Amino acid sequence: MAERNTFRLMLLILGVVFAFLYIPISVLVGLSFNEGGLPTAWTGFSFKWYGALLENDDILGAAANTVVVAICSTILSTFLGTFLAVGVEIRRRNGKWLETVIFAPMIIPDIVLAIALLSFFSLLGAKMGLHTIIVSHVVFNLAFVCAVVRARLKSFDWSIVEASADLGASTITTLYRVMVPVLTPAIVAGALLAFTLSVDEFIIAFFTAGAGRSSITLPMQIYAMIRFGVTPEINALASIVMTVSVICLALSQRLNKGGLSG
Amino acid sequence: MNQSFLSIQKVQKNFGPVTAVTGVTLDIRENEFFALLGASGSGKTTLLRMLAGFEKLSGGDVQLEGSSIAHLPPNQRPLNLMFQSYALFPHMTVAQNIAYGLEMDKLPKKQIKASVDEILQVIQLEHLRNRKPDQLSGGQSQRVALARALVKRPKVLLLDEPLGALDKKLRSEMQLELKRLQVEFGITFIIVTHDQEEALVMADRIAIMKDGGLLQVGTPQEIYEAPESRFAADFIGVMNFLPIRKSSQGFVTANGLAIKANQINNSASNSDAVAAIRPERLMIGEDGDNALSGEITAIAYHGLDLLLHLKTDLSETPIVVRMTADVAEAHCPSTGQQINVSWYAKDTHIFFA
Repeated sequence: MAERNTFRLMLLILGVVFAFLYIPISVLVGLSFNEGGLPTAWTGFSFKWYGALLENDDILGAAANTVVVAICSTILSTFLGTFLAVGVEIRRRNGKWLETVIFAPMIIPDIVLAIALLSFFSLLGAKMGLHTIIVSHVVFNLAFVCAVVRARLKSFDWSIVEASADLGASTITTLYRVMVPVLTPAIVAGALLAFTLSVDEFIIAFFTAGAGRSSITLPMQIYAMIRFGVTPEINALASIVMTVSVICLALSQRLNKGGLSG
Repeated sequence: MNQSFLSIQKVQKNFGPVTAVTGVTLDIRENEFFALLGASGSGKTTLLRMLAGFEKLSGGDVQLEGSSIAHLPPNQRPLNLMFQSYALFPHMTVAQNIAYGLEMDKLPKKQIKASVDEILQVIQLEHLRNRKPDQLSGGQSQRVALARALVKRPKVLLLDEPLGALDKKLRSEMQLELKRLQVEFGITFIIVTHDQEEALVMADRIAIMKDGGLLQVGTPQEIYEAPESRFAADFIGVMNFLPIRKSSQGFVTANGLAIKANQINNSASNSDAVAAIRPERLMIGEDGDNALSGEITAIAYHGLDLLLHLKTDLSETPIVVRMTADVAEAHCPSTGQQINVSWYAKDTHIFFA
């Protein structure tokens, strides 16, 4: 009897935790379909706020910027992060301190990184814009891609690299014919994670975007709009961003687990 | 025929303060099936990896047909290695795995396909050509790994514990198969193994390695019948050891039994020694030059033969006697029975401590 009550209590706690986590998100998604647009009354199901997004040039511009930043920083950080991971694994012997240095951007608070990058760009006298956001996103995405690829390398059978060399392949050939194909699931997973993080990222983009509307990203646009209250348009926009993020993360997780079977 | 086809000259390998291979000199002949035999840590795998080019030499030289290959990276050596873990490319099919080495040689596509087809036939895996490595059994993976290394027709094929992961029955089948392929392809094979039976069955010559050095090099018969050290005698096959002393009357055991011997190894700097006798050289009865008696404490039936354990006052460990099936039938040994065995002086090996 006591055991059964404990079990029920645990179920209850589980329910409360899930409610706490997901009710706000559900409300947001729900309201994005509310025809009336007021959070206090449900007047009917409608896509009209999603339609309104398409007519808002500010939002479309910001969305385009976000896609540019996310794609560029993902490509760069995936390329560099993969090489970094392979390099660190090969030189594992003196890698302990190197590891800490590489993962620092994951642990340092975003606001610190944002200020640091802003100071750095100012010091260089760089003109700020989308390109500085891209470089900044590469800084922290690099660490995430590297972490994902390294996790896969931990169980990597290095003898296939030796086998490739033994069969006559040069280092470069071994890299693209053996290492990259075997690591592809992890590389793609890292790329998807980087893309998601970049789409979501606000603080660093805000600090390194410079002045003017031309380099505003979606999170910055939402922040600007929210100063006049939460509109149903924002709900719709947030729902879209969330959906993209969830899909990317789910794919990333799947690929990461799938390992070699692909 | 060139006597020194592959010449290993004073090859040394240090890992920091540890010396893994200590100045090994060895000449391997063309078309020879050569076995490097030793326990783990004896340096045999390190030596093999130096031949393949995966470990740099700390000293010495390796020459193939008279020219040094020691400075060449693995992808430029006309040697191929079959890895202990097989190291098949997991993202490629069986056929793609085998074709890989030929593609690296930039051979025309048609020729690659013909070579792959041919070798698949030789290893009898044509039906699995489109499988991925994770869909193969251990024995099949082993064959693919062998085919992948063999298809390039290297001057020397190096095999690192090639049969280590197979079960016993498959292993003995593959021993003969490897031997057949070696003759058929006419390629020098150098195999690393810790399994003395494997080395005896397959190799033309065996090098026993211990602590990074060579202990003895010879044909399986030489190694088995005339071991030069107590370690070699103990490592290969089963051997009985009796502690003895050298006295003015010759060799005697602790309780005064005289031992007659023809094969005396290393000179006597002290008088303590052991007499070593193979179990199959011990005969029931007293026809031999040396004799002892003991009580049968255990009988192990092996089909073709019986192994008897005799308790004697000559050594702490039991004396092992090998009895063929027909002899066993004539004598009907049983545990607890007291029997006399004897052997010839030519079959006694003496090793000084």
